[in-house]
Amino acid sequence: MKAFHTFCVVLLVFGSVSEAKFDDFEDEEDIVEYDDNDFAEFEDVMEDSVTESPQRVITTEDDEDETTVELEGQDENQEGDFEDADTQEGDTESEPYDDEEFEGYEDKPDASSSKNKDPITIVDVPAHLQNSWESYYLEILMVTGLLAYIMNYIIGKNKNSRLAQAWFNTHRELLESNFTLVGDDGTNKEATSTGKLNQENEHIYNLWCSGRVCCEGMLIQLRFLKRQDLLNVLARMMRPVSDQVQIKVTMNDEDMDTYVFAVGTRKALVRLQKEMQDLSEFCSDKPKSGAKYGLPDSLAILSEMGEVTDGMMDTKMVHFLTHYADKIESVHFSDQFSGPKIMQEEGQPLKLPDTKRTLLFTFNVPGSGNTYPKDMEALLPLMNMVIYSIDKAKKFRLNREGKQKADKNRARVEENFLKLTHVQRQEAAQSRREEKKRAEKERIMNEEDPEKQRRLEVRQTCLITGVKLQFVRMPACVLLVVKVIFVG
Amino acid sequence: MSTNNMSDPRRPNKVLRYKPPPSECNPALDDPTPDYMNLLGMIFSMCGLMLKLKWCAWVAVYCSFISFANSRSSEDTKQMMSSFM
Repeated sequence: MKAFHTFCVVLLVFGSVSEAKFDDFEDEEDIVEYDDNDFAEFEDVMEDSVTESPQRVITTEDDEDETTVELEGQDENQEGDFEDADTQEGDTESEPYDDEEFEGYEDKPDASSSKNKDPITIVDVPAHLQNSWESYYLEILMVTGLLAYIMNYIIGKNKNSRLAQAWFNTHRELLESNFTLVGDDGTNKEATSTGKLNQENEHIYNLWCSGRVCCEGMLIQLRFLKRQDLLNVLARMMRPVSDQVQIKVTMNDEDMDTYVFAVGTRKALVRLQKEMQDLSEFCSDKPKSGAKYGLPDSLAILSEMGEVTDGMMDTKMVHFLTHYADKIESVHFSDQFSGPKIMQEEGQPLKLPDTKRTLLFTFNVPGSGNTYPKDMEALLPLMNMVIYSIDKAKKFRLNREGKQKADKNRARVEENFLKLTHVQRQEAAQSRREEKKRAEKERIMNEEDPEKQRRLEVRQTCLITGVKLQFVRMPACVLLVVKVIFVG
Repeated sequence: MSTNNMSDPRRPNKVLRYKPPPSECNPALDDPTPDYMNLLGMIFSMCGLMLKLKWCAWVAVYCSFISFANSRSSEDTKQMMSSFM
């Protein structure tokens, strides 16, 4: 009992002593031991946050003031803290600086940071990285252009095709009544009428007719405008051009006399006179007016002789020419037709070009570019004129004087041609002779037998000098002597 | 019968076949456009490829289209296709 009593007293004494110690601690909060630990963090916080308040050296005596200041400062922030604490609970503790603490000072830190760093410039994203329509404007433009070209190609091609078919439908009956073979492309084994046009191009159509008196055949070429080419369409807007129908009738030799004659628009005749071989050689005068025969002023005449003009310009022909003058470009009859003048590099050709008795007609389709299929009907009378001309050419014969004149003209032309080419022909002959000599020499060289070689050499020498020798087993020495004499 | 023969100008025994005109000089004389456009197209396509100019390539495409539109039907389709390339 006594021991237990003494134990309790000792416990009580120890408890009181420890309480006293804690009291001491409470009284002396600023003990030097805790200076560094307790207030170290508060020191840093204070210096950053409270800039306006004067800097105070933290001493032991001013702790209470500092703590109150801290508390006040912290209270203001802590209000914000409490507001945000609901949303951000554990984030801020890990960071050395609390974001919320600087809420009121957002502008100032930003201002200071912007002064320190370079200004931020917003750079445009380069065009090729953008994914918008504007970056592809060139491609869109080009593709649109191409589409327009293709559309025009299809439309133009169809229009030309329709025009050609309309022409053929209009003229089919007339042609079939005059020719056995209407339409031939030359590929079939038998000569049967194909009954349709040959399409050479998107704008050129051919038709071959044959099997008639007087003429070997007739080639009709429909030369339309290039409606399928957009560039051409645009060019035509500046300068209107017409579709053309060209007819070439090849006459039999016995069915046409010898003369050269042309009638047409002045401009066309001037051009033809320059380009065509026969017109330039036989019709050297300038195109004359046809008013004497009743032709309109727009048409002119090129003729070899006056007699030909008189013979050609009968009533019916004048009627045709007058009524359809606007559609006629040129009419050209010639027995010396060989096409346009050929420009060769080596000068004049060595031989006169082949000639054929031909009637050529060039007609303009009315409409001057803006043609419609029904305009093709207007060309039917012109085809009648062609048929009439074929028959007329067969019937027309020059009288004796005219024939003599014509023959003289042709002889004159041939002589001129020979004179011009005399030098060239001489050169050609010389070169041929030299070639022959060279070939002979090569033969001699290639000959292996020496005996034969010698004989050939001598023969060649004799040929050159014009001396004939008969080789009947001549001894070698004699041959040698002969060679020495002539060759040297 | 005789009158019929006289009025009918057709002579079946005098039929001549169609001979296409000789083509050695005619194509060049008639119209040089498709050949020029073909050449231009090739030149521009080479330029566009070597110098990496986009507009050159587009001009080449246009040239080949123009050449095709103006071409003669006798020409090879293979050549046309290669020119498009």
